[in-house]
Amino acid sequence: MAFLDNSGDIILDAVLTDLGRKTLSKGDGSFQITKFALGDEEINYSLYNKSHASGSSYYDIEILQTPILEAFTNNASSMKSNLVSYESLNLLYLPIIKLNQASVSTSMHVSGAFMVAVDSATGGGNSTSAGIPTTAVAYNNDTLVQGFLLGDSLSGGNHIRFDQGLDTTEISPSQGLSADLVEDAYIVQMDNRFGKLVTTDGVNISPDYLDDDNIAFYTVDRADGVVDNGENTNDGSQTIKGPRGTMFTFKIKASLDLMTSTYLFTQLGGTTTMLQNDAVTSRSVRYIDAMIRVTGVKTGYSFDIPVRYIKSVV
Amino acid sequence: MADSFYKSLDVGKDVVGTRTLLHEAIPLTGTIVSGTYGTNNIKNYAHGMFQSVYDYPYLSSSANHIFDITVGVGANSALTPVTQLSKKLNIYNQMAQVLVGYDAAGSVLQFDEDGDILAGGNKLDNVIFLNFSRLLTKDELKKGTFQLDLGVTPLYAEDGTVFADRLRITDASGSDGYLVNSPVGDYGILYATQSSPASTPPVLAANQSYPVGLLYYQAGVAVLSSSIFLTAGDGGILNNSFHNVSMSGPTSTSETINAVLTGSVITGSADNLRTRMYNLQFNNTVELNSSIYFCRVNHNEFNYSTNPTYLSESKIRVKTQASDQPVSYITTVGLYGDNNELYATAKLSEPLKKSSDTEFTIRVRLDY
Repeated sequence: MAFLDNSGDIILDAVLTDLGRKTLSKGDGSFQITKFALGDEEINYSLYNKSHASGSSYYDIEILQTPILEAFTNNASSMKSNLVSYESLNLLYLPIIKLNQASVSTSMHVSGAFMVAVDSATGGGNSTSAGIPTTAVAYNNDTLVQGFLLGDSLSGGNHIRFDQGLDTTEISPSQGLSADLVEDAYIVQMDNRFGKLVTTDGVNISPDYLDDDNIAFYTVDRADGVVDNGENTNDGSQTIKGPRGTMFTFKIKASLDLMTSTYLFTQLGGTTTMLQNDAVTSRSVRYIDAMIRVTGVKTGYSFDIPVRYIKSVV
Repeated sequence: MADSFYKSLDVGKDVVGTRTLLHEAIPLTGTIVSGTYGTNNIKNYAHGMFQSVYDYPYLSSSANHIFDITVGVGANSALTPVTQLSKKLNIYNQMAQVLVGYDAAGSVLQFDEDGDILAGGNKLDNVIFLNFSRLLTKDELKKGTFQLDLGVTPLYAEDGTVFADRLRITDASGSDGYLVNSPVGDYGILYATQSSPASTPPVLAANQSYPVGLLYYQAGVAVLSSSIFLTAGDGGILNNSFHNVSMSGPTSTSETINAVLTGSVITGSADNLRTRMYNLQFNNTVELNSSIYFCRVNHNEFNYSTNPTYLSESKIRVKTQASDQPVSYITTVGLYGDNNELYATAKLSEPLKKSSDTEFTIRVRLDY
């Protein structure tokens, strides 16, 4: 995408997204624009210089010179950071959403992503510790490896958890988070070709819709397991340092395509080696790297979770 | 309380539909159709029913089809075509049934010189068709803008000398007077006048405008009478002391248009017209239907951001203390459906500063 000409009057470059065109082409009246949002994804607020020597008029001089890219037509690539409204103009802190890796069961793999073992050969199936195959790479000496999710059986204690709140040491967690900053629901978007969102109990969560690129959009709320984070102390189990809002835990169920076929791995991924259960032998595995995006419905804050889907080469 | 980052649009107040007519000028110099690329941009077909003209050698993927040329001879014509008789008749009838329609008995009507079909009058029996590509005409030709200059210097030549004397054919009355009794929409009468330079003797038989064809605006078809190449004595519009326009026919390069229509194949007739085209220009029209969304941003809205750089350890970077005014910068507008599906995006060409002492209405127009 090129930059927009910013030499004269402000112009607006508007396009339908690929999802918009697809919906419009259905001709069933489902193309109804009912709301809008504002974004600022090109802006780097760290350029806001409150100590500029020339005074307050120059605080944002570098921000205002930011060149703006043409509009993207891919719906999943646009509006990654939004502007948000709060009644109070006196807020100094805003909540964020953050991965909680305070325990082994919620931590990423040492390689820096959550690993999803897509079939029983990779993840060991529903085996008890006594019967875990030697070749399973999700285990090390019969212990589930940190950051490995069993996308086939959904067993094992590992899961993904994110917390929401003010991540600052300047406000005590015991102060609590005001109600208008507490998220009650989150939008989770992930590639539907690779996996599906499930609760930690293994219950499927239905997506709101699939877009034209096969990205599934889920809205999870308190009915799906979003709960208040009632911990008001910094006891080592928390990742948010200040007042806390809600948290959500989930697992990923591997798609049937990944379980039964290597096609997508060949098309989109690569191969590497991992230690198998015997902790001695390296095993060749196929992988696909992907992202899961989580966005707070109320605050609009979003962050990405790196995920690697793993399938042993048989 | 936080209002989330979506704001609902009031369909009654914030969304409006508009219709706009856009026009483009389409200039085609004669050299494109008869010189610049030789015949590499001219495509003839094995069926021989018409000839296609491209703006570049047609074997190139860069070439655009710009118009077709064909000829037709009506059943009532005084000419007795020998070569491709049935094809010329079929072309005439096909174009007539589409552009003029049928009478009450179901017979195909003929092209009428003044468009007054009920009154009878002169019919156009021997005609040349210029079928313009939709790429050029878009939704329709703009009325009153068509102008075709034809070289009518009597001697046949392919070196440009035929353009010393020229006719100008326009839909002169198109902008304020046109006809609607066609099954394919509006059409106007094409008139021929003498174009510069003035010559002696004058090109036209009389100092007047002659009706020489019809222009179908929405269909993008010009129907030209063969009379433009004939002297008044032979039923045309040219000065008798001038001469019939010489054409390259089956036996020589000094044949009349009637001889060409009789004895040449359709593509041969098309070549003769093409080499006489000095200039062609018109404006097209695109009917643009738009939805305009007025995104109203009040003073107390969208003053904070979820941009990851907006916070440092959850603290807002653009504030030093809580009482400082929050500031954000708008670069993008997203338009959503009920389930938060992103249907359209719009980008501002530069960041727009938003604070609690400013309000904006951002007007986003989507064209269909």
